[in-house]
Amino acid sequence: MISRYTAEIGTATLTAGLGLTAVVGALEFGIGWGDAGPEPGAFPFYIGLLVVAASMGTLIQVTLGRYGLQSIFLHREEAKRVASFFVPMLAFVVLARLLGLYVATALYLTFVMSVQGKYRLVTSIASGIAAAVIFYFVLEVAFQVPLLKGPLEAALGLY
Amino acid sequence: MLKKTSWLVATAVAISFGGIAQADWKPTKPVEFVVTSSPGGGTDNFARMVQSIIAKHKLMEQSVVVTNKGGGSGAEGFIYTKVAAGDSHKLTFGTNNAYLLPYVAKLAYKPDELTPVAAMALDEFLLWVKADAPYQDAKSYIEAVKAKPDTFKMGGSQSKDTDQTLTSLIQDATGAKFIYVPFQGGGAAGVQLAGGHIDSNTNNPNENAGQWKAGAIKPLCVFSPTRLQEGPKVTATMGWSDIPTCKEAGVPVDQFQMPRTVWLPGGVSPETVAFYADVLKKVSETPEWKEYIERTSQTNRFLAGEELKSFIASDDSKNRKVFEQEGWVVR
Amino acid sequence: MENFASLLHGFGVALTTYHVALMMIGVLLGILVGVLPGLGAPNGVSLLLPLTFTMDPVAAIILLTSMYWGALFGGSTTSILFNIPGEPSSVATTFDGYPMARQGHATQALTLAFLSAGFGALVGVILITVLSTWVAKFALRFSSPEYFAVYFLAFASFIGLGAASSFKTIVSMGLGFAFAAVGMDTVSGGLRLTYGFNELLSGISFLIAVIGLFGIGELMLTMEEGLRFNGISARVKVSDVLKTIKTLPRYWVTLLRSSAIGCWMGITPGGPTAASFMSYGLAKRLSRRKDNFGLGEPEGVVAPETADHAAGSSAILPMLALGVPGSATAAVMMGGLMIWGLNPGPMLFIERPDFVWGLIASMYLGNIVAVLMVLATIPLFASILRIPFAIIGPVIVVVCFIGAYTVAGRPFDLWLALAFGVVGYLFKKLDYPIAPLVLAMVLGDKAEDAFRQSMIMSRGSLSIFWSNGLVTTLMIIGLVLALGPVLTTAFGRLIRPKASSAVA
Repeated sequence: MISRYTAEIGTATLTAGLGLTAVVGALEFGIGWGDAGPEPGAFPFYIGLLVVAASMGTLIQVTLGRYGLQSIFLHREEAKRVASFFVPMLAFVVLARLLGLYVATALYLTFVMSVQGKYRLVTSIASGIAAAVIFYFVLEVAFQVPLLKGPLEAALGLY
Repeated sequence: MLKKTSWLVATAVAISFGGIAQADWKPTKPVEFVVTSSPGGGTDNFARMVQSIIAKHKLMEQSVVVTNKGGGSGAEGFIYTKVAAGDSHKLTFGTNNAYLLPYVAKLAYKPDELTPVAAMALDEFLLWVKADAPYQDAKSYIEAVKAKPDTFKMGGSQSKDTDQTLTSLIQDATGAKFIYVPFQGGGAAGVQLAGGHIDSNTNNPNENAGQWKAGAIKPLCVFSPTRLQEGPKVTATMGWSDIPTCKEAGVPVDQFQMPRTVWLPGGVSPETVAFYADVLKKVSETPEWKEYIERTSQTNRFLAGEELKSFIASDDSKNRKVFEQEGWVVR
Repeated sequence: MENFASLLHGFGVALTTYHVALMMIGVLLGILVGVLPGLGAPNGVSLLLPLTFTMDPVAAIILLTSMYWGALFGGSTTSILFNIPGEPSSVATTFDGYPMARQGHATQALTLAFLSAGFGALVGVILITVLSTWVAKFALRFSSPEYFAVYFLAFASFIGLGAASSFKTIVSMGLGFAFAAVGMDTVSGGLRLTYGFNELLSGISFLIAVIGLFGIGELMLTMEEGLRFNGISARVKVSDVLKTIKTLPRYWVTLLRSSAIGCWMGITPGGPTAASFMSYGLAKRLSRRKDNFGLGEPEGVVAPETADHAAGSSAILPMLALGVPGSATAAVMMGGLMIWGLNPGPMLFIERPDFVWGLIASMYLGNIVAVLMVLATIPLFASILRIPFAIIGPVIVVVCFIGAYTVAGRPFDLWLALAFGVVGYLFKKLDYPIAPLVLAMVLGDKAEDAFRQSMIMSRGSLSIFWSNGLVTTLMIIGLVLALGPVLTTAFGRLIRPKASSAVA
């Protein structure tokens, strides 16, 4: 269980961190106002500062109003549902990097349909493979857009 | 013993097969044309022209897939090529930015990590002013700029790229001093000149032809050792070949041209390079190619092998001198 | 008058069975690439380009522009059904279109979107027909300061809209600007904020951000709520389409205002994305049902769609007349023109009137064909929502990531899309507005470039922003729009000091 207060603090810290990253990155390029107007780093520098300042503002607001924010941000039940969606999606991205997008698509759809959708395994596998093949024909063959490929495609000599 | 023999046999087979394959190398799968500009850019038109000619004359058995990797002024495409070392099915299209970009930006590739295949054309640069500007020739324009340093605006495509390099060369040679304004591309610089927001630009013929024809702008001189090829008149009185060279016109910058280049990743066999160089050579001999060259008023010059290497070396050192003097070189 | 004669001649050129068939094929292909996020119109057009090398120029451009219309419509479809904008310019359509779909009014939302888009496009084409000569001259008056003023105007009309905390709005917009700054900087010719990563060299693509923030973020929210799509059982009836068509005249004020904004942003360099945001912003400010915006207000679909297409079609004119492409798609088409042996630019109208007027005529016909065809697809698309979520959810995930990859063919973008998905989920749960981030990402670097180019021209003097009538007018309108809400509030406080505390 995560309280709204914790979530607010966490997100504001994250945005402040991003702002700070921009500030640090911008310092490398000069942040002054030269003859020819602002130097390359000036714009990102001040934008970064603004983001840091506004994140601080949120942090202060949240800290002052913490008693109003004890409401629950994420229930255990909700967290489980989000995780059950997010983890397979993460696995999909990892698989896509390793095995290519087509194989990852087939595996991911099969997994989600059979485990979460409670479809029969055969139906799920068939749908997963069908989707990958359709994508292959639409993108690779019809539109000539190459997708990320892995060892299977290489073995089949498709690329 | 048996093991050793079989190993020997395997090696022998591999060598002989390798030898056969090398003697007559051919692409075995679709060839990817990596374009180091976004769709619609000059390099994109160049690559797609080559693609359409190869398809029309069936110069290759395998098909061609074009991908645009124009991020970071083209650096994205060159880094992509570098990473693909040893891949004989990736042909990268660019300009002299292939070997000049790493001077001005910290990039994760070095020019010698790419294999040059050919240069197919030289794009020309001209000095343009607005049509109703009171200058009849390049000399009087430069004199006017010299009289009022830092007031005349020279527009160009991008920063620390060909247009700004040329502006710097003009300044060195004549002592004039411009305000250089970088735009997103040559097309934008052309419209800005037609609208009178800048005083001059150094666009390629192709980028400004329409505005010249319409009487919005006029060319003063061309940065080429010889005049441009003769062709039909563009305006009522003038054609491309009527434009004086800058040297004739009294601006001592006698040559500035941009090669249109083709590259392979590093670590490919000489046979592969020879194969593509041969295909591109055939492309450059087709009527469609001649028509493209004429329409875009570039100079047709096919370079490969040693000729190409020495061209690159001299172009590189010439540009490098400007970069160092302007303080653009990053460490 | 002579324009009308040319146009009639143009209809003669465009109206053949062959050309109409090409229009239909183009629109269909366009819808297909439009509904796949990331593939989009520029990709579709560049893929078709090689096929058109052997066609005659008129037929080729008809095929390509029809594909362009189709892709714009396809982009709106996914915005409404799945909260995934297929094109940057259909982001604003998600604000009310998606809530409508979730409430079971998908058919109504789609119908309104298509009709108003068609209306906007027609107004844009009529403008081209009537004012072609004038528009080309007018566009020449724009230089960097005017560009900056136009972008400023777009921002000004959109900020201060949401009810969200102003700190959160600033964070969101600031992050958008920061993301837009990553990569090659045109003005200095150097790389910025890449921290030595090759993956960041070409910047953070706006489409990746949108796919993550909207598509994936929304799916995570939907999963958390444990909801299936609401209105899943709602029957799709053809009569709903007809009923909705009858309600269109009700929005005539919005239609006209949004068309005007769209045309203005199309011929000036603002472009369709800025037009749709600006139009949405103004519609919300001026509407009597302000509070319903963002919750499924039909006017919130009509306004951005009309402006988007009005801008999209009127933007073709500067491309033809000046040879400067207003968008990625236009750039590809321009490349095509050159390969077919035509030089875009002021002379095209004089040298090849048959081509130019054939194209303009085909824009009339193409849009009508496109509207009819997409209206026919509504029942099909709307019934996608009836597919069980266990199937359609993962399919949307796959489409999102495939879309993210096809944007530039970079594996790194898959991670980026995932990260933006998490950010989108957090932001939505914590009431951070996402629209300012998106707008800043689209216009941020353009506005910065224009500002710095102006500064180079003026040697660092800000006075360039009121150096002529045009730029001064634009800046004043922008300032009024930006400060308007603040002034109204302040004014309200002056006359009603007591009531104000409740309002604030």
